[in-house]
Amino acid sequence: MISEGLRTAFELLVSFDWEIYQIILLSLVISLSATLAAGVPGVLFGILVSIGRFKGKRLVKVLLFTSMGVPPVVMGLIVLLLAIGPLRPLDLVFTRTAMFFAQFLLVLPIIAGSIVISSEKTQVRVLETATTLGARRKHKVGLLVRETKPFIFMSLILAFSRAIAEVGAVMLVGGNIKGETRVMTTFIAMNTSMGQFGTSIAMGIILLFVAFLIHLALSRFRRDFYG
Amino acid sequence: MVRLKNVAVEYPALRIAYEDALFLQNAVTVVTGRNGSGKTTLLKAIGGLIAHEGEIEKSGFATIHFQDPVLFDRSVYKNIVYPLEIRGRDARGYEKRILEYARLMGLKEKLHENAKNLSAGQKMKTSILRSVIFEPEILLLDEPTTYLDIESIEELKTLVCKLKEKMTIILVCHDQAFNEAVADEVYHVGG
Repeated sequence: MISEGLRTAFELLVSFDWEIYQIILLSLVISLSATLAAGVPGVLFGILVSIGRFKGKRLVKVLLFTSMGVPPVVMGLIVLLLAIGPLRPLDLVFTRTAMFFAQFLLVLPIIAGSIVISSEKTQVRVLETATTLGARRKHKVGLLVRETKPFIFMSLILAFSRAIAEVGAVMLVGGNIKGETRVMTTFIAMNTSMGQFGTSIAMGIILLFVAFLIHLALSRFRRDFYG
Repeated sequence: MVRLKNVAVEYPALRIAYEDALFLQNAVTVVTGRNGSGKTTLLKAIGGLIAHEGEIEKSGFATIHFQDPVLFDRSVYKNIVYPLEIRGRDARGYEKRILEYARLMGLKEKLHENAKNLSAGQKMKTSILRSVIFEPEILLLDEPTTYLDIESIEELKTLVCKLKEKMTIILVCHDQAFNEAVADEVYHVGG
């Protein structure tokens, strides 16, 4: 079945079927844009939680780490309830915007949480050092972002990997409409439910190949991270 | 100059009280005391990094050099001039001093290497130079001989003796020979 999947994957790619390329493109656009959009608030929140000294910090971290594990389908449900409830006038149900919004919310805690987990100690020490050298707030912010760069990069990679691979949220809020909101993961889920395992495996292989190409491209820019 | 008056630091399960003292300018004061007696805490309190009770009067800016220093992801030179940059001072005006200190500490050949690639001892020396290049009025050194070899400790002795002409130096160090060589005063912590 795997070899059949590989053959079908190859056939799908060389068929230049617009629907397949549209699905791949939409997956990339939604996941990348959601990751990048969540990057700014996620990184800032992660840095603030790391260096902040405030009451309830432990609770904030517990909530943040918990929300890193929110099942995509639950996030999809929350966004769907918002879309048919208070945000109904925006007409978001089964739209790409809703898919973007669901993935944005899904990866936001992943970015902030992984910044805290991976670099809290580094950030605190960088800040302490900068303070002892006489740095002011404006210098510290720039320095922290620069010194946390490898961790920011790692958190964005994690977030993108989560976004591109998730199916529950985009299925619920996007509805898997052909030519509109169908992405790679919803395409796989649909074909699997119809018993077309070969096609599912083929798209799974394409999904992995696309992720591999993205990492390959990134590795040229961040040799320090990829070694 | 640093003057302590009724200074104490409170931790959740510990309160450290310090005897009143005056640390003089142009002198090196070695802080002694057992492990956990509060020597580093005193440096942090003087450096303004932790809250304290009582009064700490200082003649100017106090910078701390930590036992396990953090170097920024940039060249040794750029690490050293960082305190000048943030003060808006032109590093070119400090070239002579940078080269003099770098030569003194055996770092001249490393100035353009990324600081992250240095050995532990070289990192220590870079960090010390970064702490002193802008000539703070008060220099607080926490275990500055950690990771240093015998030659480097000798270089550090020369640097400390040179720097004390311009500043108040308070240091915590477990290297007895180093302490004896540089100390003008001794302040004991922990009764």
